[in-house]
Amino acid sequence: MLSVFFLKSGERRGWRAWAGIGFWVAVLFALVLYGLIGTRLFFLSTLGTVFMYIVLTQAWNILGGYGGYLNFGMVTFFGTGAYTSAILFHYFGLSPFLTAPVAGLTAAIAGLLIGIPTLRLRGAYFALVTMIVTLAVQILALNLRYTQGALGIYMQPLGLSPLNVERLFYFLFLGLAVLVTLLVYAIERSNIGGALVAIREDEDAAEIIGVKTTEVKWVANAIACFIAGVVGGLYAQRIMYIEPTGTFSFDISLNTVLMAVIGGPGTWQGPLIGTPLVLLVADALRVTFTSEVNRAIFSVVVIIIALYIPGGVMGVLERWRRRGRETSANDVSAPERAA
Amino acid sequence: MLNQIATIIADGILLGLIYAIAGVGLSLVLGVMGIVNVAHSAFLMLGSFFAFELFRRLAIDPTISFFLAFPVFFAVGVIVYRMLITRVELAPQTQGLVAMFGLMVLVESLGTIAWTTDTRVITAAYTNRSILVGPIMLANVKLIAGALALLLIIAFWAFLRYTLTGRAIRAMGQNRFAAMTVGINVQALSTIMFGLGIACAGSAGVTLGMVFPFSPNTQILWLAWAFLVVILGGLGNVANTLLAGLVVGLIQTGVAAFLPFDYVYLVLYVMLAVILVVRREGLSGAVHRWI
Repeated sequence: MLSVFFLKSGERRGWRAWAGIGFWVAVLFALVLYGLIGTRLFFLSTLGTVFMYIVLTQAWNILGGYGGYLNFGMVTFFGTGAYTSAILFHYFGLSPFLTAPVAGLTAAIAGLLIGIPTLRLRGAYFALVTMIVTLAVQILALNLRYTQGALGIYMQPLGLSPLNVERLFYFLFLGLAVLVTLLVYAIERSNIGGALVAIREDEDAAEIIGVKTTEVKWVANAIACFIAGVVGGLYAQRIMYIEPTGTFSFDISLNTVLMAVIGGPGTWQGPLIGTPLVLLVADALRVTFTSEVNRAIFSVVVIIIALYIPGGVMGVLERWRRRGRETSANDVSAPERAA
Repeated sequence: MLNQIATIIADGILLGLIYAIAGVGLSLVLGVMGIVNVAHSAFLMLGSFFAFELFRRLAIDPTISFFLAFPVFFAVGVIVYRMLITRVELAPQTQGLVAMFGLMVLVESLGTIAWTTDTRVITAAYTNRSILVGPIMLANVKLIAGALALLLIIAFWAFLRYTLTGRAIRAMGQNRFAAMTVGINVQALSTIMFGLGIACAGSAGVTLGMVFPFSPNTQILWLAWAFLVVILGGLGNVANTLLAGLVVGLIQTGVAAFLPFDYVYLVLYVMLAVILVVRREGLSGAVHRWI
């Protein structure tokens, strides 16, 4: 139904593109190196969180960035994954490292349950429903017997030194971040990615030329929710104790949207740029402000970006690149691009 | 038994009226302007706190706050429209959605800073009284809130139907460009429209605050109610919104009579999914069927 094939990239890669890829590879090497030799617990744990959010934001990016269908409740699927892992551990003694795929599957099923009715429709239904469903899931977690309500569920310590635990999750989330980024990169260059962009730009036109818009949206959403669920499952082990309020915290949803929007939605580099930016600023602000003030500041940033710089950092970079190309252009394609 | 059922129905109708005005602003802004006001419930919440503060500091009765809230929130709506909406109106819908999402979070966190996350109630003199109408026991607050809601709905309906501005708004909802062609100032009208939507939210918030406990961070639940009313009733039609509100209110009280309170929300979400599956039309489809 949705066979995936890769599109030949139309433009020849210039030195800029290679320089960009080289840059990211260098960053990756530096991070791996730091993970091996670094001994500062704070840095390891902060970077681990950055990688975790990169995975979440990339997942959000698939449908939100490329497809233009905004998920305002990413935490629903993240939390579903966390609870799945926690429950499997609590009642069956299974390690979250083993059950992470199951957590992903549960989250994907939750994603389908929400996506099937809402993604058949155009417009904002999906965004609205994902936003309001978070509270419902939180209420469920507070009231069900299996989730132990507000008591929450404790996980078993791993039996490693704190530094090694952080190092383990550092590499785990780094690996996941690389994998998911590669996945998003592949999606961008596949016909699914093309279909998603077509849906974002003009859904009617996409449907007329034969894109199975509804199915593409379902699949993209299920993939995103699966990834969020896996991350949630691992998060449960990392944080060692989960309870409804913190696990389904709206801040996680806000952060993913914020990171993607700041970095540049619909590009594979966007989350890589936006996530560290937001988390570093958040850490710096946390010293002086309460979390509510923090949230208020970030919401103002979201509004400003939506109003004035809709492409985020990547959009600005792209505009610079284009301007540079146009001023130095003497070929025929320049006026075309300007139009 | 029969009395119980009658009470449930009366309760449901009164709640339904309140839900209807919670939804009417959302529905009109969405139907006429095509703006998805994700921040609608944030203004409902602000309306509740407006009444709360007036009652606490100046001992002004919520009934009066209901009428005060309308012009105040109209002004707020106009400001929001001028500062936010005019900039994203012609942009892709996602951009506007992100901006409104930011606004929602902003209002919610400012609310949390000002009032913390404690759950509040407005306790007026008549709050815990109820009267016996025939065999039915009715809470006074619900009666008052329901009556205010009905008043607002009738006023809104009459405004859209009989005034020139109302007609222009309906014309704009049917066809924006045709409306422009016959000389309607679409820009000015949109400002009024959005102001009215937020004004409705403010007044609706006052009635919600009279009946329910509230706190800044549970406002999303009200968005769920309002949204349910909107998709059930279609867009931009006051009479249908009223009907949808009544249905939702009746279902809520009906379910609450048999199930523990928290499960009411689950029923709500199941309903939401079912309605979305049954009503297969997108927003644009509903817009074209306007009135």
